[in-house]
Amino acid sequence: MAIIERPQPSGPLELAPAAVVTSRQSLGVFHRPTTESGWRSWLFTVDHKKLGIMYGVVAMFFFVVGGVEALFIRLQLAAPNGKILSAQTYNELFTTHGTTMIFLFVMPMAAAFGNYLVPLQIGARDVAFPRINAFGFWCFLGGGIFLYLSPLLGGLPDGGWFAYAPNTGPIFSPTHGMDFWTLALLITGIASLTGSLNLIVTILNMRAPGMTMMRMPIFTWMILVVQFLLVFAIPVITVALVLLSFQRLYGATFFNVEQGADPLLWQHLFWIFGHPEVYILVLPSFGIVSEVLPVFSRKPLFGYPFVVFSGVAIGFMGWGVWAHHMFASGLGPISVAVFSATTMFIAVPTGVKIINWIATMWGGRLWFTTSMHYAIGLVAMFTIGGLSGVTHAVSPADTQQTDTYYIVAHFHYVLFGGAVFGLFAGFFYWWPKVFGRMLNERLGKVGFWFMLVGMNLTFGPMHITGLQGQPRRMYRYADGMGFNFWNLVATIGAFTLALGVLLFIINALKSIKGPKAPLDPWDARSYEWMTTSPPIAENFASIPAVHGLDEFFHRKYEEDEVTGQLTKVATAEEILADQEAHREAHIHMPSMSYWPLVVASGFPILGLGLIFNTLLAIIGAAVIVGGIFGWALEPPTAPEADQGNDPDASGGTPKELASVG
Amino acid sequence: MTRTPGSRWRGRYLALVAGALVLVTGCASDAPQDTFKPAGPYAQKIDNLARPVFYIAGVVLVLVFAAVLFVIFKFRQRDDDANKVPHQLHGNTKLEVLWTIAPAVLLVGVLVPTLATVFDLARKPKDPIQITALGQQWWWEFQYPGTGIVTSGEMVFPAGQTVLVTVSSRDVIHSFWFPRLNGKRDAVPGRFQTVKIQADKPGEYWGQCTEFCGLSHANMRMRAVALSPADWERWQANQTAAYAAPTDTLAKAGEAQFAARCASCHQINGLLGTDGKPIIPRDVPQVSGAAPNLSHLMSRSTFAGAIFDLKLPECTATNTEVTGTPVECLNRSALAAWLRNAPGQKPMVPELKGDPPKGRGMPNLNLTEQQIQELIAYLSTRK
Repeated sequence: MAIIERPQPSGPLELAPAAVVTSRQSLGVFHRPTTESGWRSWLFTVDHKKLGIMYGVVAMFFFVVGGVEALFIRLQLAAPNGKILSAQTYNELFTTHGTTMIFLFVMPMAAAFGNYLVPLQIGARDVAFPRINAFGFWCFLGGGIFLYLSPLLGGLPDGGWFAYAPNTGPIFSPTHGMDFWTLALLITGIASLTGSLNLIVTILNMRAPGMTMMRMPIFTWMILVVQFLLVFAIPVITVALVLLSFQRLYGATFFNVEQGADPLLWQHLFWIFGHPEVYILVLPSFGIVSEVLPVFSRKPLFGYPFVVFSGVAIGFMGWGVWAHHMFASGLGPISVAVFSATTMFIAVPTGVKIINWIATMWGGRLWFTTSMHYAIGLVAMFTIGGLSGVTHAVSPADTQQTDTYYIVAHFHYVLFGGAVFGLFAGFFYWWPKVFGRMLNERLGKVGFWFMLVGMNLTFGPMHITGLQGQPRRMYRYADGMGFNFWNLVATIGAFTLALGVLLFIINALKSIKGPKAPLDPWDARSYEWMTTSPPIAENFASIPAVHGLDEFFHRKYEEDEVTGQLTKVATAEEILADQEAHREAHIHMPSMSYWPLVVASGFPILGLGLIFNTLLAIIGAAVIVGGIFGWALEPPTAPEADQGNDPDASGGTPKELASVG
Repeated sequence: MTRTPGSRWRGRYLALVAGALVLVTGCASDAPQDTFKPAGPYAQKIDNLARPVFYIAGVVLVLVFAAVLFVIFKFRQRDDDANKVPHQLHGNTKLEVLWTIAPAVLLVGVLVPTLATVFDLARKPKDPIQITALGQQWWWEFQYPGTGIVTSGEMVFPAGQTVLVTVSSRDVIHSFWFPRLNGKRDAVPGRFQTVKIQADKPGEYWGQCTEFCGLSHANMRMRAVALSPADWERWQANQTAAYAAPTDTLAKAGEAQFAARCASCHQINGLLGTDGKPIIPRDVPQVSGAAPNLSHLMSRSTFAGAIFDLKLPECTATNTEVTGTPVECLNRSALAAWLRNAPGQKPMVPELKGDPPKGRGMPNLNLTEQQIQELIAYLSTRK
């Protein structure tokens, strides 16, 4: 597990068992992939950077899919009694819109950032289990493809992303849509679970020398909190999904009222997962803006420990608020009172973060890059979402608000104004690090304003229509209810917003031929900027030791102990040159492998088999089991995979990955 | 009087807040489901609690936005001198403890009245009028326990008295909501949950199912009518009146059509079958096992989940809940369209599936135009 340090081996590497199996020929049949370029290098990679980019590209694709679904929804609702979509199609689109945006865009996009950046931020060469990392990505992609096979094989899911029983049971949702939905989420759940364990082990074990927990970059901290949330939340939804698919596929009666079931069981299970999920979605973005705001304010994060601990506090308190999604479901006054109180107090650590971000900017020298625009946009927009959240905590008021557009407004301010703005701040900030190219700042700012204005036009009016009594999830509304004007505004806003996203995509495509990024374009502060852009395969030529928070910044600037004045003492280029001068010998990077892809590809086949044909299920299971055997018999590192350029240059202790992943 | 720049800004913010409030409340003049227009004591209690919270949230929002705007303008980088690095302030524990405690104190201030209202609204009323509201795909049934009265889509009750509504469902989860009368309560199959409502004045109130309940969730509305105490007595008397057989020939033919084609699902109290016994639907081929009771259809103004007008909107007849809709006010075209092809008018799943076969909604009965006219003639006498 993880990186182990061992004395320089005198003979050949002793990792592989001295049996017939060699690392080149894992099972005696398949040659291990070694291609370093072309599509094969992506298909069989275990490099956290390549996987991070793949997560990002696929998540972006699903962002567009979910966005187009949203545009159809808004077109239908532009005027009363809309006729563009049928009731069934509308129900399918809002189900897949929610499912896609949450499970196939925000979560994997956060995984993209986490995968790419965490090893770089803590000075690791890769994650602890590189093959499991690849496996996670393929499970996510497999789950996404599986979900969107449903329209070809019997219809999209139509029970809402919350899938309340018994409406999602076989009687009330007779197409295969919800079967695809449950199995797709089970498959992406495998991705989340393996990914989270991987990052936890990585963060806890593989930090650079000197990097204590309280010297860790704040983004890595927030990712760590999120991974713990995932480890505990995914099993809960897994249980719920397994129960539901047993009911749908095999006639089990977990949620069948006629057989004595209480359908509120589903709601409790779903929201025990579902509320921590909200923090799973938004905390990575909080981490991103907590990196971006200090850099462009040219000040350290104000109250780093407070921001860390408020993130941890949110992670804990997030488990005690789930029933606020159920204030109207008849919990009884005692439960309602308790969950009102807990819900209010989760606003405290969230509020602390907002004030700390403002305090970070206070007294700084603010540089308004596009990334900074999005970061400040998050601070403002998330405040709106947070405050409307407090009005839901007032549970009697929530019985008026719940299941109306007021809720839709609230969580879009949280998830678009919060999570998505944070991700976009991250795109612009780390783009030069990841791709070595700059995004166009001017185009980026135009896109930002389209998105900011668009989101406020879209989601702002929903506060009003919701409080005027417009329920959600309705494919049409009657004329004369007072909903017409603001719904039209929201539709116009949605297209404005879409234009902003389109500008970003154009920006991203143009950056392929854009200007090469300087080594340190933002005068950054954290560890990941101490290597090349894009980083070399082994991340760092040598792992720099850490002396404090904002290691990179303090290597560039020296503080006069008396006056507090800062003077630049080194450039990024000098710091990098120094690192490369001490290049470590014998860096063993994990070798490519077929098996993560093979094992992951078994799950969608198994899923299709469970729905349609047992024989197919057996084939899928066989692929999974066979793949696991291939995986287990394959040594993690091929002996020739030595990245050290000059094995005799330094006498330091070599590091190697002896990973079982 | 001279004004400082600060006060000018303050004035603008106040104008902004006032403007926002006008937008939120003022535009709602024609919104029959407006949560800001409580029409009874329970909705009023929620409004009394929620409004101050909205104002507090508004003030906090203005403060945060003001701080952000101030920071943006005050601390923006005004030159490109990369060597100017501001003081690296890492934090201030006292300040941070302060702004952790301050919101907590504010929230306690919000929590106390919240909890008081939660328990207040949950208290059982003394001697209320009792109504049972049963949701099913995609309409509401209202039963008046002890009286034998059953209506659908429209709930009638006396103004000025507390009504305890027991909410449940016959299939999936629905949610019972009249925004101007109280917050919502989910209708969960297998559970019987109560919610108090009261309307101060006689009048019409609109509500809607607010828990996603499948295909026609959007078409599951409901109407409540609060009557004066005298009208309430008359309404009850009319609803419990004995069956009045139709007299004109067309309506008589309609009665026979109804008994043959409709009565296997739709109850009309007192309608006798060919064997001389009352027809009571027993094995309704619906998942919910129920279809709307049509005994006094003409006492209602809407039909099919309260989404179609049964009474022409331009009709000037009043008090039709008690007297029944006059024949000239009947929206014949809407009713005929419904009888011609119900699932074409409202998305439903009438396909009979399962064993025994069950549908969800009214099927197309393939009636002839003659049959439709006869049925309308018969139904128009059901006052």
